[in-house]
Amino acid sequence: MATDGDVMLRCTDLRKSYGPLLAVDGVSFEIRTGETYGLLGPNGAGKTTLISMVAGVLEGDDGAVALDGLRMDPSALDAKALIGYVPQDVALYPDLTARENLRFFASLYKLGRQEARARVAEVLDVVGLSERADDQVKTYSGGMKRRLNIGAGLIHRPRLLILDEPTVGVDPQSRNAILASIEALSAEGMAVLYTTHYMEEAERLCDRVGIVDLGHLIAEGPPRALTAELGQAEHIVMAVEGDLAAAVAAVDALAVAGRTTGDAGVLDVLVTDAESALPLVMEAATSSGAAIRSVNVQEPDLEVVFLHLTGKRLRD
Amino acid sequence: MTPLAIAGVNLRRTLRDRTNAFFVVLFPLLMVMVVGLAFGGEFTPRVAVVVERTGPLSEALVDQLESSGGFEVERVDDRAEAVEGVETGRLSSAVVIPEDYDSVLAEGGDALVEYLSTADRSAQQIGMVVRASVDAQSSRVKVARVLQDRLGDDLGTNLARTDQAAGSLQEVSVVTSTTGTALFPEDLGRFDLGASSQLLLFVFVTSMTTAAALIETRRLGVSRRMLSTPTRVSSIVAGEALGRIGIAVVQGIVIMVGSALIFGVSWGTPLGAVALMVLFATVAGGAGLLLGAVSKNPQQAIGAGLLVGLGLSALGGSMMPLEFFSPTMLTVAHFTPHAWAADGFATLVRRDGTVLDIFGELGVLLAYAVALFALGSWALRRRILQGD
Amino acid sequence: MPASLLIAWKDLRQRFRDRSAIMLAVVVPLALAAIFSMIFGPASTPTAFEYALVDEDRSPVSRSFDEDVLAYLEDEGIATVDEMEEAEARTAVSDGDLDAAFLIPPGFADRVQSRAPARLEVVGSVDAATATDVARSVASSYVQGLNAVRVAVAGVAHQGGSLTEGELQEVAQQTVAAAPPVTIEDISADAHVLDLKTYFAAGMAVFFLLFTVQFGVSSLIEERSDGTLSRLLAAPVRRSSILVGKLLTSVALGVVSLTVLVLGTSLLLGASWGNPVGVGLLVVSGVLAATGIASVVASLAKTAEQAGSWQAVVAVSLGLLGGAFFPVQQSGQLMATVSLVTPHAWFMRGLGTLAGGGEALAVLPAVGALLLIAAVTGAVASTRLGRIVEP
Repeated sequence: MATDGDVMLRCTDLRKSYGPLLAVDGVSFEIRTGETYGLLGPNGAGKTTLISMVAGVLEGDDGAVALDGLRMDPSALDAKALIGYVPQDVALYPDLTARENLRFFASLYKLGRQEARARVAEVLDVVGLSERADDQVKTYSGGMKRRLNIGAGLIHRPRLLILDEPTVGVDPQSRNAILASIEALSAEGMAVLYTTHYMEEAERLCDRVGIVDLGHLIAEGPPRALTAELGQAEHIVMAVEGDLAAAVAAVDALAVAGRTTGDAGVLDVLVTDAESALPLVMEAATSSGAAIRSVNVQEPDLEVVFLHLTGKRLRD
Repeated sequence: MTPLAIAGVNLRRTLRDRTNAFFVVLFPLLMVMVVGLAFGGEFTPRVAVVVERTGPLSEALVDQLESSGGFEVERVDDRAEAVEGVETGRLSSAVVIPEDYDSVLAEGGDALVEYLSTADRSAQQIGMVVRASVDAQSSRVKVARVLQDRLGDDLGTNLARTDQAAGSLQEVSVVTSTTGTALFPEDLGRFDLGASSQLLLFVFVTSMTTAAALIETRRLGVSRRMLSTPTRVSSIVAGEALGRIGIAVVQGIVIMVGSALIFGVSWGTPLGAVALMVLFATVAGGAGLLLGAVSKNPQQAIGAGLLVGLGLSALGGSMMPLEFFSPTMLTVAHFTPHAWAADGFATLVRRDGTVLDIFGELGVLLAYAVALFALGSWALRRRILQGD
Repeated sequence: MPASLLIAWKDLRQRFRDRSAIMLAVVVPLALAAIFSMIFGPASTPTAFEYALVDEDRSPVSRSFDEDVLAYLEDEGIATVDEMEEAEARTAVSDGDLDAAFLIPPGFADRVQSRAPARLEVVGSVDAATATDVARSVASSYVQGLNAVRVAVAGVAHQGGSLTEGELQEVAQQTVAAAPPVTIEDISADAHVLDLKTYFAAGMAVFFLLFTVQFGVSSLIEERSDGTLSRLLAAPVRRSSILVGKLLTSVALGVVSLTVLVLGTSLLLGASWGNPVGVGLLVVSGVLAATGIASVVASLAKTAEQAGSWQAVVAVSLGLLGGAFFPVQQSGQLMATVSLVTPHAWFMRGLGTLAGGGEALAVLPAVGALLLIAAVTGAVASTRLGRIVEP
């Protein structure tokens, strides 16, 4: 079996169009063994399409995907055996029990009967569903279904786990649990490919983050490095009453001010040093006729990075 | 949004998809061909006649068969070919005149003619005519033998005498008439209400098995989305149902008009026929609505749809004609809408009835439709509101 | 275990869970067989026809019609005969209370015994075609006998001058007493022709066929909308295995349900399907052909809704075209040829060869045709494979 050093996943120049719509445009990235890699981007960025190509569910128009040196495409059974797939929508058979679902998927990954039974019990334990294992999935709450959804991707001990926005619409408690379990898996040495549009998750989980927008990979690196790259370390957030546009224009005109945006009564400006810039910014805002209701200084984050790179917010 | 608007959207969605339009509207043209060729225009069943060795008596029997009218006689070379023709369904029946027919009769013995037919009703009718022809020839030979006995000479001479005597008389005959305005005898070998019973089967079964579609709509939450708009649930339900009935009606009309125009199939007076068909389609739609509302998934809908669709159709005389039914079964049959619709068509086609003549049947169908819709709407409403 | 079997087994388990499998495989065929046996059962001993006799002649000739011919019908349970006036009889037939009436006009016997033409009238109800046919047939054969005597008498007279009363009687007696020299024997039972019950049972079975096989294919579309299809695609399973697995579900359910229908109609209805091996071959090949057709239809559909409605139309149309309920072949050469496109026509044909004690191997041509249909449709469906299994 060919291997690729410690590179678990290598994507080279992936391209995919749906008719006139170019969903993925020349994306390349790598994931190492044991690494958690996040794909961060808003809805419509092409994340799901990318994921589908990596999982061998979709055939790209161009480019190559390799899993530990094995070429991945829809017919590559050996490569598929290495990945675990957790789709965005819960993909389980509602009229079968959790145990039956897991056993079925285990059989598809060619686990022997003994091994399957043991593994199913293990996974049920990990996702905390051992008690309800013999109830039909349609009786589960949303959170439980999501946990099982992830469990189904783990059943065969994959080398790379792919999760497509696993926490969308999930309550905070379940979300926390999910994130914790992914951290645990990562600690055990599993490579993880994680897509999300929540930057807190990306910051928390990922060793490296790739930022995608409109089918392009526009930046890549550890979260810290990305934010540091900006050079402008902090941003000032002010709740403003009055003419927001005028305030934004006034602040933006300042030399110390980096990217300035105004949205829903909130003015957001990037600065290198908040302490020195703050009085200038506040003055500029008030002089434009606006009244400041509150002021906040925030550490930079990926949201800011994204905003900076694309002029758009991560969350719409 | 009124029900009509919803129905309109459904129909537009249906017809916009070209493949859908093909299957739903054009494919039924196949039905037109089947119904048309089977039940339209002139139909003459074919009866094969095998003459194993020709002779004057054999030929006389063939002539008798040919002149009986009602079917076309096809002379076939050998028995095997005739048997094969009947077995493959190409021929309705076959008559085999054996090799020794002439010789046996000439010697004063009895001859046996073999007859072979399919089991359907049309073949039974033809069988009676064939029997009558054989009887006529048998009678002729019998009289000739009597003459031979009393007058002497050979059979041939006496046959000539018999024919001469027969020609000099005007025969005793049977005259048949019917009390309907349809002429009798009907085209032999064809069930006159076949076209309508096939149409009823088609409309009902397709409606029942497409009930699954309603489940998809529920599932996709479209109905729920419509609920959040200022639309009454009853309107939503009515709209869904109307759309489906509309399709069934379009299909039915395509089949009726197509087969009538192209093949001359008789459906009775247009107004009456269309009224019957529309009401029956409504009943079918209501049944489909109810089924779609109570089924949990498409597979259940298919299974139940089949049972009810085929079962009711069979009970209602759409597969085996009602005239075969015993009195008990006939009563049972009239619990199905099919039997009433079939009665309606019988009145229209056989007795040249008008819409007024089938008011009773139309009324019953209307009652069925109303009941099924009420039930189906209630069930669907519950399902939607329960978020199922 | 190969992936296709794993998938098929999972599907079947789901179908058992929602009871649709039992429904389709057992309940529906048994219920249909029961319904058909209800329809045929009491009707297989047909109820007596209801006739009336209007005898306005009241002669030995007309009485003989009543006492010999009609009485025989009554004794054999074929018909009941009531005597009544003409007006009453006509009304009764018109209202449907009677199936047919025999009208013997006044002076009938006189005319029969002279050379004048005589007519016996049969008035039939338009809704009782078979009863009327039988009445007409009965009257015709009676009248045939009368004609024979007349011709015999005329023939003898022609040669030897007029006859005495005694000679006339003699000739008449001799003619009447003579056995018919030509008789007809129905050999249909020995031929490979389906009897009525089996014909209808077979038609029902074959019609049913194209509906049951929708299951597997519709479940494929279900998986897509459930989201589980993408999981199957991500697993180390060939796309072809996914499709084969789905089709296996169809085939399994199709074969089981048809078998139950065959057994059910044999037991409940008394249909005689013929050699079991032959029937088995036909069932399996028929199911394969039907599955192929259902796959083609489904491969063109985008949603389960579309697939469902198209399958229904195709199933009914092909069923009728294939002669499931009336013998389309007799409607002309064109129809007979076109019907051979359907699996239904071949299935019926195959069954026909088994009738009358045919051997199992006789079905091979029909089986071959069915497998050919399966192969062709299967090929077409699989080229459209990509469409179905696209997430």
